[in-house]
Amino acid sequence: MDLAFTPQEQQFRADIRAWVGENLPADISHKVHNAMRLSRDDMQRWGKILGKKGWLGHAWPKSFGGPGWNSVQKHLFEEECALAGAPRVLPFGPVMVAPVIMAFGNAAQQQRFLPGIASGEVWWSQGYSEPGSGSDLASVKTRAERRGNNYIVNGQKAWTTLGQYGEWIFCLVRTSNEGKPQTGISFLLIDMKSPGVTVRPTVLLDGEPEVNEVFFDDVEVPVENLIGEENKGWTYAKHLLSHERTNIADVNRSKRELERLKRIAKLEGVDSDTRFRDEIAKLEVDVVALEMLVLRVLAAEKSGKNPLDIAALLKIRGSEIQQRYSELMMLAAGPFALPLIREAMEAGWQGNFPGGGNWCAPLASTYFNFRKTTIYGGSNEVQRNIVAQTVLG
Amino acid sequence: MDFDFSDDQQQLRDAVRKWVDKGYSFERRRAIVKAGGFSREAFGEIAELGLCGLYVPEQYDGMGMGPVEGMVVMEELGRGMVLEPLNQSLIAAAVLSGYAPDAIKAAWLPRIASGTALVVLAHQERAARYQLNVCAATATQTANGVTLTGVKSLVPAGDQADAFLVPATLESKLALFLVERSASGVSAQGYGTQDGSRAAEVTLQNAPASLVTLEGLAALEHAVDIGIAATCAEAVGVMDKTLALTAEYMNMRKQFGVAISSFQALRHRAADMKMQLELARSMSYYASLKLGAPAPERRAAMARAKYQLGNSMRFVGQQSVQLHGGIGVTDEYIGSHYFKKLTQLEMTFGDSLHHLGEVSARMQDTAGVFA
Repeated sequence: MDLAFTPQEQQFRADIRAWVGENLPADISHKVHNAMRLSRDDMQRWGKILGKKGWLGHAWPKSFGGPGWNSVQKHLFEEECALAGAPRVLPFGPVMVAPVIMAFGNAAQQQRFLPGIASGEVWWSQGYSEPGSGSDLASVKTRAERRGNNYIVNGQKAWTTLGQYGEWIFCLVRTSNEGKPQTGISFLLIDMKSPGVTVRPTVLLDGEPEVNEVFFDDVEVPVENLIGEENKGWTYAKHLLSHERTNIADVNRSKRELERLKRIAKLEGVDSDTRFRDEIAKLEVDVVALEMLVLRVLAAEKSGKNPLDIAALLKIRGSEIQQRYSELMMLAAGPFALPLIREAMEAGWQGNFPGGGNWCAPLASTYFNFRKTTIYGGSNEVQRNIVAQTVLG
Repeated sequence: MDFDFSDDQQQLRDAVRKWVDKGYSFERRRAIVKAGGFSREAFGEIAELGLCGLYVPEQYDGMGMGPVEGMVVMEELGRGMVLEPLNQSLIAAAVLSGYAPDAIKAAWLPRIASGTALVVLAHQERAARYQLNVCAATATQTANGVTLTGVKSLVPAGDQADAFLVPATLESKLALFLVERSASGVSAQGYGTQDGSRAAEVTLQNAPASLVTLEGLAALEHAVDIGIAATCAEAVGVMDKTLALTAEYMNMRKQFGVAISSFQALRHRAADMKMQLELARSMSYYASLKLGAPAPERRAAMARAKYQLGNSMRFVGQQSVQLHGGIGVTDEYIGSHYFKKLTQLEMTFGDSLHHLGEVSARMQDTAGVFA
């Protein structure tokens, strides 16, 4: 048992840090460190820089062009990116659909889709949830009917993150109503430029169109876009969700944001207020405990001994921590978190924020936005059901 | 980075667990509580397993092992709510090896290792609460050596121990001394504590003492940090067993015609207990793995760990009682004793509020395990 990283791992970290330092555009990290609005271009620019290096699919095995890193190396890479102020890599392509294509897609699909994901050229979206299917994902109703060499897709997806930029979308569609709901679902890749696809933004409580409704109206999808077998999509989707949960804990970003919270508390003078300072101290312990939990999971993956079935804990705790730091940042600014001036969240804004503290501009918006974290990716209540299963059977 | 236990560590765990399961039944424990809360016989059995010598260097007949072995052993003792204070032998061995002159080491370490001497930390004073730098006991240099005068409370098994490690002020600086219980001017008034174990009020009146170190505060902080790591590990064992008992009960107990484990409100509570247990286990690892760090880093780590453990212990203990319903508040049921154990452990070596203050005071601009 040893908490320290090996000398090789430390060298690996140093190499990553140096590379990120040289390649992460300063204008992007400035925005990330100050929670300013990121454009589509900002997100894709960083993705393409990683893609060029072969690191956008940094968790991919070597056989698919990934670097072949182990769990600890992956973690160190993600940590160095997060601490340097890199934007979060959107998981839909490289983290979510790519492993499904690798595991269950055929060679033609792998050759067709993986290069665009690896390079960051193609923007992928996720088509899972529907208006009537949130936690109960197996109840999806979007239909895909086989007609000749096409599926004809009709229905509606909801909560599609950044779907307004999406070029391709992976969807759970119903291909059968026989048997249990889980057994009639298929996994389909759909070109969002296809006739009959309509994307409509959903404005969230922070005023931003972060998610979308995606409508399918007699959309023709070639059968070669079906992953694996018809009606086996639920199995593939579960494979994907298991990847999402570890990713979703995102302790590295929480470390960076805890440091930012401390900076804001200093700027606002509440770092010396015992009551406020203690709240930060509690969060500090929460973050260390979550990081230890994550390190335990990583080490177990690396050694292959004693696999730990605590992924659901990571999602619950990680999301609670994200909500808490965003809440404390807002409370640190106090009344100066209340002015709603959207332009002030843009980099390079020349105006004067009321009271003069420009850092206050995004705090309440982030707080509002982060209410999503305990809802998405399987709500925390669903996660507790999973945890309870491990305790009580 | 590696959180696996070695084969030797696993064997050590198995050996302790076997003794706890077979040799330290709840009935035996209950009898020991009734008889005062400390059994020299049981302590001897622990010593026979070699556990008292865990932190004693091999040259002094010990096993020369480290914090991870200490953690493994304390977890297992926690599972059985063992009353005999092995953590005190770990503390005494580490502090004497690290700070004492050779003569004291040679005189005491082999006896600690064999279990023939129980040496315990006697630092708690009425006015100090959890502050280690508050000490009214005084040391006086006389022609025949040093004598100590003062009152120390809650000394573990204090009327049964063979010697005490006592912090006292010598020329306005905290120093650490060893005092034998049989020495003149020493009296120990024993009593039971809430978890069934034994403690004593130890009064020193010009009691002859041997100087362990003039670096009293550093040694005391180190001693307490070893105690914190041991307490964290012990608490993980207690919580592990508490959650297992609770799950077993929830699957067995029927109301409204079904097992109460089928109710979602209760299932989510069990999930929250599991969360607290795993966060606690993670921070117990953290505490033990940070015991060898330089003092400021070590102190900060122990405060973080004990804060997490304290909160986890309170939650798991209280919820276990609640989920058991009426049976959970009876003396007859074993679960209520686990709850009392957890309550006492939270208040040992600093409670959660105290350690929150420590974390808060030591906070840096950086964040995370390696900050």
